[in-house]
Amino acid sequence: MPYQIDNRPADTRESLYFPEIFRAIGLVVKTFWRNAFFSRDPNTDILERDRSSNRVTTLQYPEEKAPYPAGYRGLHRLVPRPDGSPRCVACYMCATACPAQCIYIEAAEVEGDPIEKYPKQFVIDELRCVVCGFCVEACPKDAIRMDTGEHPAPTYAREGQIYDLKRLLRGPPVSYEKDPWLVRPSRLTDAALKADRAAARPYGTQGTDEYTQTPGFSVRELAAEAKARGEAK
Amino acid sequence: MKRFVGMWLVIGAVLVGLVGLFAAFYALAALGARGAVALGFPGFFGSAIVNAVTLMAVTLMTVAALLTVAERKWSAAMQDRIGANRILVLGKFPLGGVPYLLADALKMLTKESIYPAARSKFLFELAPVLAFSPTFALFAVVPVGPEVRALGQTVGMWVANPDAGLLWIFALAGLSVYGTTLAGWASNSRVGMLGAVRASAQMISYEVSLGLSLVGVMIAYRTVNLQAMAIAQGVEVLGPVPALGLLLQPLGFLVFFTSSFAETKRAPFDLPEGESEIVGYFLEYSGMKFGLLFLAEFVEVVILAAVTTAVFLGGWHPVLFEGWLKAHLDPLAFGAVCAASFLAKVILLTWLQLVIRWLLPRFRYDQIQGLCWKLLLPGALVNVFVTAAAVLVDPSLQVLAWIGVVEIVAIFGITMAVSKPKAAHGGHDHGDAHGHAAHAAGH
Repeated sequence: MPYQIDNRPADTRESLYFPEIFRAIGLVVKTFWRNAFFSRDPNTDILERDRSSNRVTTLQYPEEKAPYPAGYRGLHRLVPRPDGSPRCVACYMCATACPAQCIYIEAAEVEGDPIEKYPKQFVIDELRCVVCGFCVEACPKDAIRMDTGEHPAPTYAREGQIYDLKRLLRGPPVSYEKDPWLVRPSRLTDAALKADRAAARPYGTQGTDEYTQTPGFSVRELAAEAKARGEAK
Repeated sequence: MKRFVGMWLVIGAVLVGLVGLFAAFYALAALGARGAVALGFPGFFGSAIVNAVTLMAVTLMTVAALLTVAERKWSAAMQDRIGANRILVLGKFPLGGVPYLLADALKMLTKESIYPAARSKFLFELAPVLAFSPTFALFAVVPVGPEVRALGQTVGMWVANPDAGLLWIFALAGLSVYGTTLAGWASNSRVGMLGAVRASAQMISYEVSLGLSLVGVMIAYRTVNLQAMAIAQGVEVLGPVPALGLLLQPLGFLVFFTSSFAETKRAPFDLPEGESEIVGYFLEYSGMKFGLLFLAEFVEVVILAAVTTAVFLGGWHPVLFEGWLKAHLDPLAFGAVCAASFLAKVILLTWLQLVIRWLLPRFRYDQIQGLCWKLLLPGALVNVFVTAAAVLVDPSLQVLAWIGVVEIVAIFGITMAVSKPKAAHGGHDHGDAHGHAAHAAGH
């Protein structure tokens, strides 16, 4: 219990009002002194703030943003290849998995390639999206992620909430060892290709869910811990 | 650390600015006096007119308007918040929230005035003016600075210096309740009326202790003229300690400050307003009419601080280093320093009022009346008798000063003497709470 409520009647000293008010004034003056004369620790993690002098816990929102927890499902992005084109191969897995049916894909054939497709248009209606993350789970190519840590920006018109390929395709590119463009001849220049191959991750050992994409956070480790505690099989 | 240095720099800059400002005001008053003499009137006519502009229209209104900003920023600091800082000048500098002043003023002035259909037409318009003007006029008798010889004229930093200065204050403080009451009555709203009734009941109660609390000061200084009172407070009584009202009349100070705080109708005495129960006597007012009622409250705060300073905190005497300043400074500069120290004290007291306003919750109605009739009024009466006896025994005020010292020590002692909560009692409560929890869990 944070407060001990004491319902005894006020004693003589307390019924004089003033002594207690003076003490309380002292308290407020101390708080004022701390907050007015010392600078605020702008740490966005409020619980980690140094509150020894200034005790303000305000977060100046648009300028300072609180860090989201690991695995937070933010605004979608289409993961680019190193050459800037989307990793997406327009397989419709995400659109099929989506319970809100908010993904619209228009597939097209890659010129000169007998099998590969690419999305000519890829639209997500963020107003319909229920932020379940199934699209990320469903993607076999790790081409759609929710690791931006942002919200869809507020807009005055509904049209602003419809994100097309142009707006979705952003963020750092991701490569895997068995990516076809690293194996087969590609549009990348030799130097870029070499660098990309060096940065490529082995495919298959990485999950595609957003938890495993966050550094230092692993669902598998969590599961192992739970297993060790006997909470899960 | 940067903020620490910055805050002290700002405070220093404000003090220096005040000295410069009042030097200019003295010069302006002297010019006004010269003009009046040239036109064939007594010199103080001109200086009074100039002072009415510089002191009342400029200084008082600026401080009162800045108080709206201070209320936001200071209360924020008292409550671990930052406060208004979203208006950025040049896209970068919040300037301590001061630009909000302009935004507020613009909003007040451009808002539509909505009139209740069943209002009393004339009184509805009159009430805000009646609430504002007596409060505003109170400042006329407050001596902001000493008499100074400048530009060949002897000028004072006050608008008027009537012999019955304190009586003027009582009269006008009593008058300002009409504005409040009429505002509630004329708007023909039962809630506004409730606020008005509460306001008048509260005012009538606290008017009594307000008056009685100053009787002791009148006895001690043997005058009701505020300027004479300020001069009397510069006389040394206990060694180098001057005869400040706070030293001679600590009890009177407490009673006066509390009573006049109740007169300003601000928390914890904001029953007439009481926005969580009734919106208050200004419920039906909007636009600049509400702004006037609102501003009257802030002006009242400043004036209360000014009167308290003049009567209890040594008026315009810069209590520290006064002798040195007087010996080493030009008379005009000394006058400016005095006036600046007066305003600094006023700002300090307004700050103290804001501390109390943001500290205490609203009193219950019976607590308000109980505080007045059971605590303040007997306290004021005792103070009157003790002061009278002390002055009768020793007209040099030494005895009174010693009594004041004893009172201050006693108040300090009572404040510090906190009884520890009894362990057994607390344990019982704790057990009781557990019992309730277990009971609830059983269900």
